[in-house]
Amino acid sequence: MSADTHTAWRHVPHQHQGPHQHTGADDHIYSPKLHNGTFKSQGIATFLGAPYCPPDRHAIREMGAKVCFIGVPWDQGQVVRAGTSQGAAGIREASTQYFPYMFEYDVDLLSFFRLVDCGDIPIVPGNNDKSHDYIYHYLTECLHGGAKVVLCGGDHSVPIPGARALSDFHKEGRIGYLHVDCHLDAAPDWAGNAFTNCSGPSRALDLPNCDARNLIHMGSRNGLNPKDWHDFFVDNDVRLIPMYEVARRGVVDCTKEIFTRAWDGTDGVYFSWDTDSIDSSCMPGTTAPECFGLKGREIIQLARTAGTFGADIMEVSELCPQFDVSHISIKTAALMIMHFLGSRAKTLRDQGRTP
Amino acid sequence: MNPAKSYAHLFSPLGGEGGENYRAPGQLTFLRAPHVPLETDALKAHGARYAFVGVPFDEGNVGKPGSEDGPREFRIASQEYLSYWFEFGVDLDGLAVDCGDVPMPKVNPDSARDRIYRAVTTVLKAGVTPIVVGGDRSISIQAARALSDHIGADKKMGCLHFGAHLDLAESWAGEKLLSTCALARITELPNLPAANVAHIGARNSMNPKDYIDLAKARNLRFYPMFEIYERGIDAVVKEAVAKVFDGSDAQYLSFNFNVMDASAAPGVTATEPGGLESREMIRVADVIGERKTVSVIDVTELAPVYDVSGTTSRLAVCTVLRLMAAMARARGELVDPEIRRSDLVAAE
Repeated sequence: MSADTHTAWRHVPHQHQGPHQHTGADDHIYSPKLHNGTFKSQGIATFLGAPYCPPDRHAIREMGAKVCFIGVPWDQGQVVRAGTSQGAAGIREASTQYFPYMFEYDVDLLSFFRLVDCGDIPIVPGNNDKSHDYIYHYLTECLHGGAKVVLCGGDHSVPIPGARALSDFHKEGRIGYLHVDCHLDAAPDWAGNAFTNCSGPSRALDLPNCDARNLIHMGSRNGLNPKDWHDFFVDNDVRLIPMYEVARRGVVDCTKEIFTRAWDGTDGVYFSWDTDSIDSSCMPGTTAPECFGLKGREIIQLARTAGTFGADIMEVSELCPQFDVSHISIKTAALMIMHFLGSRAKTLRDQGRTP
Repeated sequence: MNPAKSYAHLFSPLGGEGGENYRAPGQLTFLRAPHVPLETDALKAHGARYAFVGVPFDEGNVGKPGSEDGPREFRIASQEYLSYWFEFGVDLDGLAVDCGDVPMPKVNPDSARDRIYRAVTTVLKAGVTPIVVGGDRSISIQAARALSDHIGADKKMGCLHFGAHLDLAESWAGEKLLSTCALARITELPNLPAANVAHIGARNSMNPKDYIDLAKARNLRFYPMFEIYERGIDAVVKEAVAKVFDGSDAQYLSFNFNVMDASAAPGVTATEPGGLESREMIRVADVIGERKTVSVIDVTELAPVYDVSGTTSRLAVCTVLRLMAAMARARGELVDPEIRRSDLVAAE
C-alpha cells in the first residue's frame, strides 16, 4: 500500500494475510513475487481487489475513499430480456484479470482514488419503487461520504433514482445528465409505468435542477425507438447525437461536445452509459444487443475522453453476463470504467489536483 | 500374454519420446499438407519452405486456460481454405508440410520446454521456416531461443511481436519461463539487439508497472494501441518492420492473437477490447510480406473453448496464409496468369 497516513484507507486483500504474504508496499502493481494472490487467486470478490467499505457516509469519509464502486443487482425495471442483475458481479469477475495499474496513464487506480467497493445495493424483488428508493439512499450515502460513484447496473431504470440522488445532493446548484445508449429511452411512461428503463432522460428532465441544455443523448440507432421517444428530444429542444453523427464526426469529438454541454454551468454530472450503445459484436452480453454501435477502440476512446471531464456518478448498465459466452463483454464493461478512471486520474494529476 | 502383441494402450502412459499424449490427432494436417516426420533429414529431403509444428502446451499461462487446443483448431480451420489466393496471384500448395504436434508430457513443463526447443531447432537445421502454433505465449521463449542458437553469436536476429500484453515480467511468482515473462526472456538473447525488437498492440491493464519499467530499462520500442489510434496501422507496422528487419540476419515473428479486438477474436485466453480489427491485421500481413522471408512464425493463445463460432482460429489461419501469400508474391512466385480451367479439360 502506498504511504497514506491521513486516512484509514487500506488495501489488504485477505490472501495477503495468510502464511505466505506479499508484504511489499506496492506489490499489487507489479508482477507477483510469490504467488498469484495479487492477480488470479481471489479473496472476497471486489472490483479490482479494492477494499470493502460499508455504504455509509461516515465509513466512506473515514476511509478517505474518493471513488466508490457499487452494484445494483436489479433487472425488474426493464422491458427487454432479463439477466442484467448479474452485471456488477460480471464486472467484478472480469476485473480479476486486470491490474489496478494502467500504463496508458501511469496510474494506480486503487491508491490514487482510494478506491473502495461498497458491495451491492439491496433490492426488493418485484418492487421497482422500493428498489429505486434503496438505490437513491445508498448513492446519497456515497455522495455525502465525499466520493464519486461508479454505479454498476442493473437495468437502465437505475439512472432514475441515480440522477435523483445527484439532483438532491446538488440541490442548491445545477446538474447535467448524459445518456449514452442505443435507445432514446424517453417514454413519458411505458404502459403506465413512468420509472422503467424506457424513461431515463424523461425523468432527468423532471428534476428541478436539470435543464434541457445540460441533458444530452448520444449513440441512438435502429428500430426500438418509438416516436414518442424521439418527440421528447424535438419538443424539449434536447441535444441528440445519433449514431450516424458519431460515425461521421468521430467519437472523441462527440464525447467532448456532450461533456462540455453537461458541465456548462452545472455543479455535477450524471453519466449514464448503457452497454447497448456498443456494437453487438463487441458487446453480445447486454439486454438488447444492437448492430451499428460503438466499436472496440471507440469504447475506449469514449471512456478516455470522458475521463478528461469527469462525472459525479458514472453508471454502466444493462450488462448480461449469461449472454457473454466468450467473456468479452464483461471485460469491456470493466475497461469502460477503468479507462474512465485512468484518464480521470491523469487529468487531475496533470492539473495538479487530487480527486 | 501374447509376446507379439502390444498391451501398452491398456495402461497409463509409459513415457518416452512419443505416444504418451493420448489426445494427439491423427492425420489432420495444416492446409492438407503432407505429414513429414519432425526430423531434419526428412524435412531437407522434402524441400518445403514451411513446417507446421503444433505445441499443445498450456502450462505457462497465468490466467484462463484453454490454449492447448489451439493447434488442433488451427489445423481444422486451415482446411476451410484453398491454396490459391487471388489477391496475390499465388499458389501455396507445396510450400508447407505438417510435422504434427510436439508430444507434450503433462505436468512436466521443464521437459516440455526442452522438447519445444529441440523441435524448432530440428526444423531450422533443415533450412525450413517453422510455423509454431501454441499453446500459450511462453512457447515463444523456447522457439526464439532455438532461433538465436541456430544462427549463432555472429549473426543478429530481430523480433516482431503482436499482442495486447508486453509480457515483460522479470519473474512471475518466482517463475521465469511463464507467458508473462516471454518478452523479458527473449530480449535477453545475446544476439537480439534492442534496436531490432518491436512490440505492437499493448493496451489495458494486464500490463503491470514492472513491464513498463523493464521496457524502458531495456530500451524496447513498443507501439501501444493508443499510438495506432493516432497514426494508423500502416505507419506503425511499416516503422516496426523496418526496425526488426533492417540490419538483422534472422527474424522472429510472433502473433499472440489477443492483439485483435475482443470482437474480432473472442477465442483467445485473454480477450482484450480496443485491439486490431481484421482489416488491420490483413494490412499487417501485406506489409510484412514485402520482406519475402521470415525465420520463425509463431501463433499463440488461441483458446477454442471460447471460440463459439470458430471465427478466431479462422482469422489466425487467414493471417498466416495471407502472410505466406504476400511473401510468395514478393519473391515473384506467381501462378501463370494465362492458365485456364478449360486448358485442363482440353489436356484430358
